[in-house]
Amino acid sequence: MIEVEGLHKLYGDFPAVQGLSFRVGAGEVLGLIGPNGAGKTTTIRSIAGIIIPSGGQIRIAGHDLAKDPVGAKTELAFIPDEPHLFEYLTVEEHLRFVGRLYGVTGISARIPGLLEEMDLGDKRGALPGELSRGMKQKLAIACGLLHEPKALLLDEPLTGLDPVGIRRMKSTIMRRAAGGTAVILSSHLLHLVEEICTRLLVLQHGRVVAFGTMAEIIASRPGLRTRSLEDVFLALIGQEEATDA
Amino acid sequence: MIRVFGYLAWCTAYNRTARQLRHLRSPRYVAALLFGIAYLWFMVVAQRPAPAAGELADTRWVELVGAIALLGAVAWGWIFGVERRVLTFTPAEVTFLFSGPVSRRGLIQFKLLHSQLFILFNAFLWTLILSRERFGVSPWLRVISIWVLLTTLSFHRLGASFVRTSLAEHGRLGLRHRVVSLVVLGGVLIAWTWSIAEALPHLADRSGDSPFAFLPALGEAGGQPLPAALTYPFRVMIRPLIANSVAAWANALWPALTLLVLHYIWVVRSDTAFEEAAAAVSLQKAQSLSGRAGRTNTSLAPARVTPPLLRLAPQGWPAGAILWKNLVAVTRTRRLRKAALALLGGGAIVAMLSFEPEGMLAEIAGWFAITWAAAMGVIGPQWVRNDLRGDLMKLDLLRSYPLRGWSVVIAEATASALLLTVIQLSLLLIAYLAFLGNDFMVPALRDRSLLLLAAFAFLPGVNLLGMLIQNGAALLYPAWVRLGSGRPGGVEALGQNLLMMVMFVALLLALLLLPVALGGGTFLLLRTALNYWAALPATVLTLATMAFEAALVVEWLGGVFERTDPATAGIGN
Repeated sequence: MIEVEGLHKLYGDFPAVQGLSFRVGAGEVLGLIGPNGAGKTTTIRSIAGIIIPSGGQIRIAGHDLAKDPVGAKTELAFIPDEPHLFEYLTVEEHLRFVGRLYGVTGISARIPGLLEEMDLGDKRGALPGELSRGMKQKLAIACGLLHEPKALLLDEPLTGLDPVGIRRMKSTIMRRAAGGTAVILSSHLLHLVEEICTRLLVLQHGRVVAFGTMAEIIASRPGLRTRSLEDVFLALIGQEEATDA
Repeated sequence: MIRVFGYLAWCTAYNRTARQLRHLRSPRYVAALLFGIAYLWFMVVAQRPAPAAGELADTRWVELVGAIALLGAVAWGWIFGVERRVLTFTPAEVTFLFSGPVSRRGLIQFKLLHSQLFILFNAFLWTLILSRERFGVSPWLRVISIWVLLTTLSFHRLGASFVRTSLAEHGRLGLRHRVVSLVVLGGVLIAWTWSIAEALPHLADRSGDSPFAFLPALGEAGGQPLPAALTYPFRVMIRPLIANSVAAWANALWPALTLLVLHYIWVVRSDTAFEEAAAAVSLQKAQSLSGRAGRTNTSLAPARVTPPLLRLAPQGWPAGAILWKNLVAVTRTRRLRKAALALLGGGAIVAMLSFEPEGMLAEIAGWFAITWAAAMGVIGPQWVRNDLRGDLMKLDLLRSYPLRGWSVVIAEATASALLLTVIQLSLLLIAYLAFLGNDFMVPALRDRSLLLLAAFAFLPGVNLLGMLIQNGAALLYPAWVRLGSGRPGGVEALGQNLLMMVMFVALLLALLLLPVALGGGTFLLLRTALNYWAALPATVLTLATMAFEAALVVEWLGGVFERTDPATAGIGN
């Protein structure tokens, strides 16, 4: 569903991502983890078609992002950590706006269910300025899910959500994956990644440090002492001493 | 503390300039810089003939007209109170300075100091713009004169906005803290009303004469003791600018500087008193409310949202959603419904008045409307900004939509062009109605009707081309063009806005050259055969050429949009 081959991104002379290749199939949830500056956001924004890669190929549901950007983007949704909303559109108007952009049919029937799922049912006439940070994030997520994307890209999606919102979000992600959506999730919340991701991609300095299921990663590194993702992660990026301190 | 502020201001200015200059690694920015330098040279040096030595502008009139212009700027500040943006703090400043050991007065001084960089830049621009005028002394002294004038005016408008805000937000408390300002304002208003009532009959007698007779009458009225006293502060601000010797300049400067210092004291003291008093009241209110249980978060209380004028059809051209979004934003930021009602009512009234034998009022309204419609063609594209200039801050989001670049560009530019066209056509319609019953007006009613039709036909295209220029500038030079809904405003930004406007008009005229030439040529060729009906094919050809040009520009800018990388362009997240 999401295929990345030899992805490179240079900022001037600085390589943010170097030769990244992976594939996320339908129903899979890939956890993208790495320290700050590892290239996670650059990777996810390149797949979303926001950043222009310096090299490599990205395919979304069979559409080449470079050759058929409209076809590829129609099949995906990108939900950033910071919700970008239009100041003068209400909650419901945001959904209608996105529905028109993606050619969603039966929009009026879909809006109430989605708003209920995101706990925004009583805010449909509110402008973003009247919403809390968490509500804005929920609206951005609702906008992303409206057109039933085949590929879902989530960059720190739980930022600003309350515990109930986090639980709902987790179940939403898992439900979408069970329905056949390919999900890439970038997060520093390792317990969340451990809980809902089927495979992990660990990045450092723009390169892949480890890729596979948790069991595969541990099996490939006999030196790893524990089975907690946090310990595995710190060991992979060479910060083991941080756990000992 | 002043050293800390100085450090912050210096580092910010240095790093911002360095960041802007780094863009010169791109050939596109180098080309723009060279073009800008050439343009400035052409505008301020090469273009204007140097007046003969000794030829001086009539400083009496410069002083009078300048004083009236300043009076208008000051009145605008009192009516609209727009200058508080000077004191707008960035989120980082709020985080670090408001929670730090910095007094309110210190914060205001910091912002005023910070705004000086902008004022100095514009003082320099004005010096360039006025470089060939033969009033005033050397350009270096003129920079100082313009700086004093712009700073005083900026302080005055800021002080005026404080008075307005305190009255609007803090009722009686604000009134108590503004009593001196309000007494002075009230006295000035009464004196002005008195002076105008005294001078009006005399001026009305001379209004039918030529401007050469009217101006001395105006000067005479302005020279009376009361009007002279009222315009004195404005004349004081103008005099250093028009002094024709160093000694005269020095003599004129110290009163202007005194006025500047008085304004500074007024702004700093009044705002500190106001803020501290308001803060004390806020604290009391918070304490009295803290005991009440079960309160909800009032900051999230819903506001009344205007329903959109147009509903978005669920299916259709996808980029139409962007056009709709931008138009909805306009209906929610401007009082369009009230404006439309006022327009309808005003139109009906002036139409009725135009049939009166002494329809002077309708005529004045008509000329006013025409003047504004024409002015909007030039300044409108800088004012109306519900397009890419506002949305580029959300480039990440725009880029993630399944849309081709050209469709984003055309949807964005069309939103602004539509709005501007509606404003201009409304004004022209008012003018048309204002002259409806006027049989002496030249051109005659039939020709005026044709001109109005021509405006309906051509204005959408002309405005679309204009908006494509503005959006293109934002897209090509996002690091150098101000993004977001606001634009540099206030009298201190007048210099750079003027230069931008002239450059815009030159580009627009260049784009209109071919359509006008082809349309005009067609009309001349076919006129003998078709008489006035030749205007039809000429119009069609002109519009087709404009559409072709717009399509080329949209296609090109669409490609630029698709190639713009938010990370390297310095916009978005």
